[in-house]
Amino acid sequence: MIAKPFRFVLIGLAAATLAGCGVQADSTGSKAATPASAEQVARGKYLARAADCAACHTAEEGGAPFAGGVALETPFGKLYGTNITPDKDHGIGDWSADDFYKALHEGVTPNKRLYPAMPYTSYRSLSREDTDALYAYLMSLKPAKVPNKEDELHFPFNLRFGVMFWNMLFLKDSLPDASTGQSVNWQRGRYLAGALGHCAECHTPRGQLGQLNLDKPLTGGVLGRIGAPDITPMGLAARGWTAQGLETFFATGIAPQGSAYGEMYPVIHLSSQHLSKTDLTAMASYLMGDKLPAPAPLKSVSADAAELTAGRQLYTAVCAGCHGREGEGKPNVTVAMHGNSTVRNADPRNLIVATLDGIKEQRFPNNGAMQEMPGFASKLSDKEMAQLANFLRASWGGQPADVTADAVKALR
Amino acid sequence: MSIANKPLSLTINGKAVGPLLVPEGLMMIDFLHEYVALTGSRLGCGQGVCRACVAILDNPDGTSEEIRTCITGAHFFQGKKIRTVEAHAKRNDKGEVVELSPIQQAFLEHYSFQCGYCTPGFVNAATVLVEKLKRQPVDKDKVEETITDALNDHICRCTGYVRYYEAVKEVVMNTPGLVKGGKA
Repeated sequence: MIAKPFRFVLIGLAAATLAGCGVQADSTGSKAATPASAEQVARGKYLARAADCAACHTAEEGGAPFAGGVALETPFGKLYGTNITPDKDHGIGDWSADDFYKALHEGVTPNKRLYPAMPYTSYRSLSREDTDALYAYLMSLKPAKVPNKEDELHFPFNLRFGVMFWNMLFLKDSLPDASTGQSVNWQRGRYLAGALGHCAECHTPRGQLGQLNLDKPLTGGVLGRIGAPDITPMGLAARGWTAQGLETFFATGIAPQGSAYGEMYPVIHLSSQHLSKTDLTAMASYLMGDKLPAPAPLKSVSADAAELTAGRQLYTAVCAGCHGREGEGKPNVTVAMHGNSTVRNADPRNLIVATLDGIKEQRFPNNGAMQEMPGFASKLSDKEMAQLANFLRASWGGQPADVTADAVKALR
Repeated sequence: MSIANKPLSLTINGKAVGPLLVPEGLMMIDFLHEYVALTGSRLGCGQGVCRACVAILDNPDGTSEEIRTCITGAHFFQGKKIRTVEAHAKRNDKGEVVELSPIQQAFLEHYSFQCGYCTPGFVNAATVLVEKLKRQPVDKDKVEETITDALNDHICRCTGYVRYYEAVKEVVMNTPGLVKGGKA
């Protein structure tokens, strides 16, 4: 769904007519600059990790910290994370704390409007105290003379003024919750998962103009080939997650329900593993809600016996060597397939994609590891992939054996 | 719990084998060692990382590829054709080796291996590479990275790879038709 350009323009014009023009005035007022304390800088460093700034602003493979260059593929073209070091030419060296707050709060910098790939939609809920700490930390870094890369967006999305209309339509002061709660932990978790961790940016589905579908918060979104799963309390419980499991997952990337892969792998590395235990507990309790749903037991599923046998034979032939004969997994080698969150996902997309593409070797906190998983795109036919996926779903996922060869073909 | 046996027939090193009754879930490396007495393939890590167990899978379309026998079940090979390290040298009627393959000879001449545990995997991987280059020659300036890509995953703990690398490069450069853009 690359483009609905005309629709975009029409909506933009309509919005302009209705709502007048201009960016809303900054309501916070200016504050006199005060020198940052070491404590504020340290707090800013923690917050920068909680907000996972590095995911988009630090290039992999030796990029200078926060000097930008990470490519972000969007349905509207390619964007690059920018330099947010205090370099005056390429970074944010000339910005004031007010400018920084405005960028995070409204998506407007001294030079331009940001695209909402920068999640100011979530960061909008950050407190001024926290954006000041983030600012103090970033300004304490070594300036990196790394020029920003030009965006490669398709027309008309390359016209930044269009974002003004997008903001009028879609920028909200707060994002809806998927769970309910009032406890101190829940409140803190709400801030961590919402304003800082910006979970919704991947886990909430998006509309045709890239806007978050706020009627379905955290029910799952699509990120390129991988789907960001449903992380509502019911969605998590249906796949066997518990608050304790989530906390372990955020801290180490590996839980009984599965390990982090795809876009979630860098989140663990760059962000969640660095959070305090208290904050991880808070985040888990926000996602699960104050009234914890019981993890769903594995349902037994009936399926065509011959198909299941064929799937089991494929599993034995090419999977069991590492994942274990009964899907039990091996510590620091492979995750268990029995009860695995991806196997239990009603949407088979990630299971199929992981089996087709494989997963690179991964290192996790606390010397944890998962070895490389080979892709089976060239080894298994569409039909065989479907049989394998159906065997896994029906045997160890409590899901119907409804994956078709065509569904596999569509994901190749 | 009893493990079910299932018949298995395949072609190993050009000879039809089976049907043999083999336990379901038996890994190929064990089948090679215990059922057909081909002990050249090495069990190293047992989890598909070190590549000492690599054999060659010959596809119906004439291409060949590496396959890790320690993590691939024996029954995956039903009806398929594979080669193990025992396949490469020429033998006389008595089954004695009379001539090594070019890759094997080059490994010897370059003193590529010491303990030899990883060698069967390297021989098979380098042979697959040579066969691939026969079908798709590479530019001369891509030879080094092509060898690295092909052998990178194989682990050797004695010689430090350089001698393997030099031996493979010599074979690639000296075998007609593998490299485009001039002779070495």
